[in-house]
Amino acid sequence: MQAWRILGVASAFALALGLGSNKAHALGAPAGTVINNTAEVSYTVGTVNATATSNVVTVTVAEILDVTVTAQTPTVSVSAGATQQVARYRVTNTGNGSETFRLVMNSTIAGDQFDPVPSATSIYFDSDTTPGLSAGDTAYVVGGNDPVLSADGFVIVLLVNDIPAGVVDTNTGITRLTADARTGTGAPGTTFAGAGNGLSGAVDAVVGTTGADGEADSTYLVAGVSLTASKTQTVVDQFGGAQPVPGARINYSIAINLIGSGTATNAVFTDDIPANTTYVPGTLRLNTLPLSDAVDTDAGDYTATTPAHVRVALGSLTTASGPQTVTFAVTIN
Amino acid sequence: MFKGKKIFGLVAILAGSMITPAIAQTPDKGCIVLKSVAETEQAVVNAKGEKSTKLVPLSKVVPGGEVIWTVTANNICKVPSDKVSVDLPVPEHMTYVASSAIGPGADIQFSVDGKTFAAADALTVVENGATRKARAEEYRRVRWTFKNSLAPEAQAFGRFRAVVN
Repeated sequence: MQAWRILGVASAFALALGLGSNKAHALGAPAGTVINNTAEVSYTVGTVNATATSNVVTVTVAEILDVTVTAQTPTVSVSAGATQQVARYRVTNTGNGSETFRLVMNSTIAGDQFDPVPSATSIYFDSDTTPGLSAGDTAYVVGGNDPVLSADGFVIVLLVNDIPAGVVDTNTGITRLTADARTGTGAPGTTFAGAGNGLSGAVDAVVGTTGADGEADSTYLVAGVSLTASKTQTVVDQFGGAQPVPGARINYSIAINLIGSGTATNAVFTDDIPANTTYVPGTLRLNTLPLSDAVDTDAGDYTATTPAHVRVALGSLTTASGPQTVTFAVTIN
Repeated sequence: MFKGKKIFGLVAILAGSMITPAIAQTPDKGCIVLKSVAETEQAVVNAKGEKSTKLVPLSKVVPGGEVIWTVTANNICKVPSDKVSVDLPVPEHMTYVASSAIGPGADIQFSVDGKTFAAADALTVVENGATRKARAEEYRRVRWTFKNSLAPEAQAFGRFRAVVN
């Protein structure tokens, strides 16, 4: 009886450990995990109680080869002749073991109007903290520094292309990144005996649902964008007329229009206060909305230091934004 | 001398406590021989082109793969065994597949803690102070309690499916 109690406690303890481990591996049992199982039976023969256990069944978790490639910049706005235009991708090891992947770039994809031209070095790891292509990024060399990703690990990859000079507005050019498992690719279920990376040595590797390769496209969109500004003025003199005499007030209105199919990001309007005039405090407006003169959280401000000027941050504009109208007033000295 | 005997007696009890579970883990020389197996379904096509599935043992699995666990109990004695109750854990790294347990002639019960067993619709867990029905993916152990005696040379079995996490 005493022995049974001890056995019972031991079993419960083992089960508690098992549940904890399950939670730790919520993303999939790691390659090389050994799963053991044993059955128990209790019965009586006549009045005698008896127990027995079964053989121990052992199954080992093989490495599953899976990878996902996603385009983080599905569309990249470019202009004709632009060089070193960057498309960004994320390559994720969705398998359950450490795996090496080979990267391949292809910019001659059907279904577009032009082929982007890969730059001299065209595949980089976004390895520094600066987003996009920067001096600290590491160039990829096939077979030289193939990324080794742990299970659920990922790497950010940049494809760099030049845009041909002859392309026109709304033309598209596709560039594609492919990543495939160096252990092997193929139809799901294809097995590479002993080729997988287990927790403590080689295990079989099995191709998962992705075929152990993944690809994603980014599209370069030629999007010419230009901003036009037209300025009008009305003069109001202190005598009720419209003569530009000292003391008269000039009301300026500037209409800003966007032409083209792209986006003008972080557009900023600045206008110097004309010589021999003085800005009228509190007259700066964007689309009739008053803006304070101070440099603060609103979009506009007035700066008195030479040259005195007004400044309005317009944000990112597209044709859908419509015309933007800035108004302010000065008096003639 | 008298003192020495007492100590000897205590050692013997301790040793007995240790030995009993150890024996339980080795193949039993009793009436029931228990055998476990992990298998998978494999599609087969016979000479006539007819498709069917058969169970084949497996030694490797992948996350998301399904394993069919089967335990068989054989009575090798000349007398029947009564109150036959077989337990098979849902192993670590695996999740029980709902409604997959079968066992001809058996009441099937489940446990989430290895201690309390109940039928699927009666098993509960306490979560945040409230009692609710246990979900199939929480089962950690399956128990088959056979209603009838296991006759000499007769065999009983239980089976369930589980998916690799």
